[in-house]
Amino acid sequence: MKDGTCTNFSLFIFTDFEKENTMTTAPAMIETKSVIKKVNTSEGELQILHPISFTVKPGESVAIIGASGSGKSTLLGLLAGLDEVSGGHIMIDGEPLHSMNEEQRARLRGEKVGFIFQSFMLVQSLTALENIMLPAEIAGLSDPKKRAQKILEQVGLDHRANHFPNQLSGGEQQRVAIARAFITNPKILFADEPTGNLDSTNSSKVENLLFDLNKESNTTLILVTHDNELAQRCQRQLRMHAGELSEQTPILKVVSGE
Amino acid sequence: MPIVFQLAWRLFKHEAKRGELTIILLAIVLSVASVLSLSLFSERLQGALTDRSAEFIAADRQLRSRTPVDEQWISKASDFKLNSAYQVSTRSMVFGQEELALSDLRAVDENYPLKGKVKVTTQAFGVSEPTNESVAPGEVWIDSRLFQLVKVELGDTIDIGDASFKVSKVLSEIPDAGFSVFNTDPIVLMSTTDLAKTNVTGPGSRVSYKYYFTGETADLDDYYEWLRPQLNREIHRWTSIEDDDSAIGRSIARAEQYFLLASLLAIVLAAVSIAVAAQRYSQRHFDPVAIMKTLGAGKTMVQRIYLLQICFITSLGILLGVVVGFMLQQGVVAMLAGTVEVSLNVWHWRPLAIAIFTGVICSVLFSLYPLLQLFSVPPLRVLRRDINTTLSSKALQFATSGIAVFLLMWVYSQNLMISTILFASGIILVALLLGVTNVLIMVGRKLGSGSMGSWTLAWARIRRRAMGNSVQLISFAITIMLLLVVLVMRNDMVKQWRDQLPEGTPNYFLSNVTEDQRGGLEEQFAQNDIDSGGFYPVARGRFVAINEEKIRTEVTKEDQEVADDGRQGLGREANLTWSTQLQTGNRILEGEWLDTWQEGDPYPLSLESEIAGRLDIKLGDELTFNIGSEVIKATVTSLREVNWQTMQPNFFFVLHPKAVENFAPTYITSFSLDESRKAEITKLMAPFASVTLFDVDARINQLRDIIDQVSMAVEFILILVLIAGALVLIAQVQASMDERLQELAILRTLGAKGWMIRFSVINEFIIIGLVAGLMAAISNEFSLYMLQTKVFQMEASLHFEYWLIAPIVGALTVGILGALGCWRLLSLNTGELLRKMV
Repeated sequence: MKDGTCTNFSLFIFTDFEKENTMTTAPAMIETKSVIKKVNTSEGELQILHPISFTVKPGESVAIIGASGSGKSTLLGLLAGLDEVSGGHIMIDGEPLHSMNEEQRARLRGEKVGFIFQSFMLVQSLTALENIMLPAEIAGLSDPKKRAQKILEQVGLDHRANHFPNQLSGGEQQRVAIARAFITNPKILFADEPTGNLDSTNSSKVENLLFDLNKESNTTLILVTHDNELAQRCQRQLRMHAGELSEQTPILKVVSGE
Repeated sequence: MPIVFQLAWRLFKHEAKRGELTIILLAIVLSVASVLSLSLFSERLQGALTDRSAEFIAADRQLRSRTPVDEQWISKASDFKLNSAYQVSTRSMVFGQEELALSDLRAVDENYPLKGKVKVTTQAFGVSEPTNESVAPGEVWIDSRLFQLVKVELGDTIDIGDASFKVSKVLSEIPDAGFSVFNTDPIVLMSTTDLAKTNVTGPGSRVSYKYYFTGETADLDDYYEWLRPQLNREIHRWTSIEDDDSAIGRSIARAEQYFLLASLLAIVLAAVSIAVAAQRYSQRHFDPVAIMKTLGAGKTMVQRIYLLQICFITSLGILLGVVVGFMLQQGVVAMLAGTVEVSLNVWHWRPLAIAIFTGVICSVLFSLYPLLQLFSVPPLRVLRRDINTTLSSKALQFATSGIAVFLLMWVYSQNLMISTILFASGIILVALLLGVTNVLIMVGRKLGSGSMGSWTLAWARIRRRAMGNSVQLISFAITIMLLLVVLVMRNDMVKQWRDQLPEGTPNYFLSNVTEDQRGGLEEQFAQNDIDSGGFYPVARGRFVAINEEKIRTEVTKEDQEVADDGRQGLGREANLTWSTQLQTGNRILEGEWLDTWQEGDPYPLSLESEIAGRLDIKLGDELTFNIGSEVIKATVTSLREVNWQTMQPNFFFVLHPKAVENFAPTYITSFSLDESRKAEITKLMAPFASVTLFDVDARINQLRDIIDQVSMAVEFILILVLIAGALVLIAQVQASMDERLQELAILRTLGAKGWMIRFSVINEFIIIGLVAGLMAAISNEFSLYMLQTKVFQMEASLHFEYWLIAPIVGALTVGILGALGCWRLLSLNTGELLRKMV
């Protein structure tokens, strides 16, 4: 399949999608319009994201795939409010992320967003249980410890509650990270290469856990990966290529339908 | 807030347990402990020294007066919780069995002396013992010399004025006798109650009154405040030991300056180590901050969490530091017990307050910039690991650290001069180092283009880090420089002290040696293996006129009427000597020495410069002296500087031998005799009954004791500062090891051999140590020059040996520390190394 044809085709489909969304009454969980990102380098300004527009419905699971350096992590950073857009609009659960300052974005992240990272990103000086409690405490939820214990049990690590991250295996660390991501019942979960640092056994364990919990809590999932297999487990797949985004789902569905 | 507190506490607890706070905690503990132990110890030592030196004025404060003071002044002193004592002194003739002699008559009350002890012996020139008794009414204690002079024995009677007294003790020493050797008359100690019946203090007599006070410094100051408006400068003089310009006063003043300097340097060292540790602490927390921000923590929350953490660390550090510092100080005091006298009667709050203040200021001001950096870490770091912080301002960092150090030094020393000198040297050092790092980059670029050996790797690493890590080089160099300053300062100071009283310093002086006796004495000295200090001819003369203008002489009561309104004179008889050879320790400041005199010119005279200033005598002035019935006129042809701190006979007036050739001279000489041979004195002097012997052994010993004690203390402080410095160096190497971790891991992964990595790291540290040592030696010269000339009033000197020693020792120390740190890292396998990096 040539990339060119794919892009054209997908754009067409994409507009179709938009129509569909405007027709439905359910508000979009994520809505981006012409999002661009530019950075300053020693060789002048560099546009690393070309206008990107798409919508994600509540409860949908979307994979963003692409090669290294294609801009998928940049997009994730923008969607999650970790970085600021250079232009365009991003609405998260009806709130204008693009016009918020860092404080407001932090509040929004705390209230609505969960994260899972390739390098786990656990606080090294907190135990597994305390790492899980952290977002709940920051958000000011009641009884963070009880919540954390419950969810730790769900990820099967209750016996490791008082271990520090460096005393856990990679797979265990990622399971702690997943538990941490779900403790606040976020509306959206961003996962950046969640299995990128794990071997195949641990990978599938983590994958299963992720998708099970996602289904259970009906969270919107945005998953960045270059692993096609993992991407396939999502309802939709978006492909990043040189800073441009294209929808791949319909083609694959059409293909599989044929 | 409770959540923030809980989070901060949890992070603190775990990190403390896992040893992640060790370095910063150690830095704070070190700063607090060293400042506390140094200032506590120096406070105690100073307490002891001040106590000790207060003995030289027999009190904490003295009020001297030419007339009796208002009774009420003295009774008021007890309202200020002060103890007081008094003494009336005058010069009076003492009549013995057949002979008479002029004496320094001192009538004292039963409280005298408030500080120090009166010492007596059982026989003239015997070994003295302190006594707590006071002179009983009707009795006198008299100087050994008087026994010789007026030919009396213990139990005999002597007459003073209109009264007779029983000689009940041989007086060997009173605390405030003064250090002057030749111009004193033998002392007679009596009770004040007996003074009136002697009638020697009637109208016209020259009497001085001394009032002694002891008490708390604050009370003494309060009393002085009350007293001051009532004092008349012409009549009254208020003195404390600090006003003492004697060798001891100066040694103590210098030692105090040194303690201050050492403590200041300890503060700076502590500050450097905290700055290094805080930087490292901040870098280690970039990730947790990014994670917390990502998980929804606002900036305020992050700030509060970390400020609380800093509070916890600071509190713990201060607490531990106080305990360690106190124990350290106690340990040293216990260790030195018996050698160095310390006063336990010192208020501990000041050192404690200073130590805590230092801990707080250091950790707050030095963690300010790293914390600001930390707060500005963007959440995006969770995705992009290379993003550190959005805040980067070396200027801000240098400014905050600089201001902090300067403020600390100034507040602590309350001495703008010392603070400014040290600070300026620091700035010069930093500027030098920045220049050098630039040169290093250039040199390194040329050298680095060879094959890939361990040296090349080391150079490459230094070059790459040159600007970014110039902070590290600077902190090494500052540490070494501070250590050098403390070390060299101590060496110079102790040397100058010791030079004042070298081995064999004369402890006995003889005067009234006639020409005939001189040969006999020389023979005696030779036979008994005694070093004599040479014979100086001397004549006692009365200095009567300057350029024919009569001056006040006031030697005795009868003379007083002669010229009461004249120019100010010496106030006593002058000792004149003559020689064409300039004495050692003397230096011509103005004019020409006597040896240029030619027959036919007026007789020349060389005058000591200070007395010239005091009496307003200039070159070319003609001075007139009466020696017996003869009149001698001489013209001042030179002004001399005299080192009064040498224990040698020194003279205000030196004449040309020609001017006095008609006089049969008497001589003075000095010799040194060990304490153990004291008993030989009587036998030695028996054939020379008319020769007057002055025993200054006690004085010399007192002086030597104090100098030894101060030197010991200085030594101890040096060691403390050296330890502090070594710890700082270790902390710095430790911190910079972290930065090397990644590189080591990569090199290791790429298969670099262990020895190559090890040598490249060691070489890198050796180069850094070498450069830092050299820079430190250069800036050391500058700060020493400034300190010695501006603060310590010493002769400045260059120390070229340190230009060699400092780089070598720097390279060795830093290299070894680097090797040790590196060893630990290289003992980890590659996997562990890589995991450590995450």
